[in-house]
Amino acid sequence: MTPDELIHGQAQELRRGTVVLACLALLEEPQYGYALLETLTGAGVAVDGNTLYPLLRRLEKQGLLTSEWNTDESRPRKFYRVSPLGSRVRAGLVREWRDLTASLARLTKDDA
Amino acid sequence: MTANTLTDRYVREVARRVPAGQRDDIATELRATIADTVEARDAEPGAAEREVLTEMGDPVRLAARYADRPLALIGPDLYPAYTRLLVTLLTTALPAVTAVAVGFDVLDGKDAGSLVGTAVGTVLTVGAQMIAWVTAGFALVERSRHRDRALAATRAWTPDDLPAAPRNDRRDIAACASAAWHALLLGLIVWQHTAEPYRADGRRLQVLDPDLWTGWIWPVLAGLAGLAALDLARFATRERPLALAAWYAAAQAAFTLPLAWILYRHMFFDPDFLAHVNGGWKTPDAFYTGAALIVLAIGATDTLKHFRESR
Repeated sequence: MTPDELIHGQAQELRRGTVVLACLALLEEPQYGYALLETLTGAGVAVDGNTLYPLLRRLEKQGLLTSEWNTDESRPRKFYRVSPLGSRVRAGLVREWRDLTASLARLTKDDA
Repeated sequence: MTANTLTDRYVREVARRVPAGQRDDIATELRATIADTVEARDAEPGAAEREVLTEMGDPVRLAARYADRPLALIGPDLYPAYTRLLVTLLTTALPAVTAVAVGFDVLDGKDAGSLVGTAVGTVLTVGAQMIAWVTAGFALVERSRHRDRALAATRAWTPDDLPAAPRNDRRDIAACASAAWHALLLGLIVWQHTAEPYRADGRRLQVLDPDLWTGWIWPVLAGLAGLAALDLARFATRERPLALAAWYAAAQAAFTLPLAWILYRHMFFDPDFLAHVNGGWKTPDAFYTGAALIVLAIGATDTLKHFRESR
């Protein structure tokens, strides 16, 4: 494996958990699957559709998201938004994320 | 939706693999999502559809993600317990079952060729059954909804599970060979009694004195069975506690002491068999005394070796 391949693989591991936090942050406003994917990509959080769509359903099942079908347009779309529980979990995750970035910033300050 | 587009076929493949309760919901959302994605592409619609579906990937995999179902037959949580159980079964139960099967054939007076056939056949069929059923059982547990509870029921690993001694191939082979030897002796004794293999003047004779079966042969047989079982235990655990050596000494005593006594008192061979084999010649007393001493010496050496190995 080349260094680039190794970096790519490890970076994917790093990003894995961050998609949940990004979703919980973005879904203050209700959004449907594809639009959310576009917003995430535009925000610099790269995620595949085949990961994101099942993830949204899992978060809904855990009670972090609520959903509603919108049939006003020709194409019925399922809109997701954060539940009160999801907001609390997000706050906790944000704290974790800040601690983690602070710790890693201290550990890696020589690499900057 | 009567059209049979690639998207329809794809959605159908995903939908039929997710729980029935969510099937329609997931299908509708997936169809809309694919349509949204295709629409956003600049490419010609047919090519874009193909491209999008390729990116979504294998429907089996996607359905597993939707259903939150593992794609492994036995996941990492259960795998250690699975391998441990299989190894234990294949190294203890399988040899034991094979020994019993061969023992029955010996009782039936089968020849050596069919004994080997039975042994190989038993190892293959019973071994395959063990692997198949254990695997099926663990796969079911893996898929059951009560996985967490089942997991709590399988014993958690503790440092006590660490093997005390590194695996010692030489000792393992020795233990297996010893078990086979003791089982073979046991089988031979029973076989010569039931099959009466020796033919003399139109009569069938046993080799050993039939009178033994009303007395001294029983501790010998019990001792042999005990020795074979302890050999297997020695192989399975790889540990050498003092208790095992003590049991071994007891089994060895049950086997050796009566056997030596039988030899010493000339009660070993069937007198008719002996007369026919020897003709006019009489076996000297020294032969029996010597044989008894050799049996005692082997038994004592073996017992000592086991005590030395234990710690």
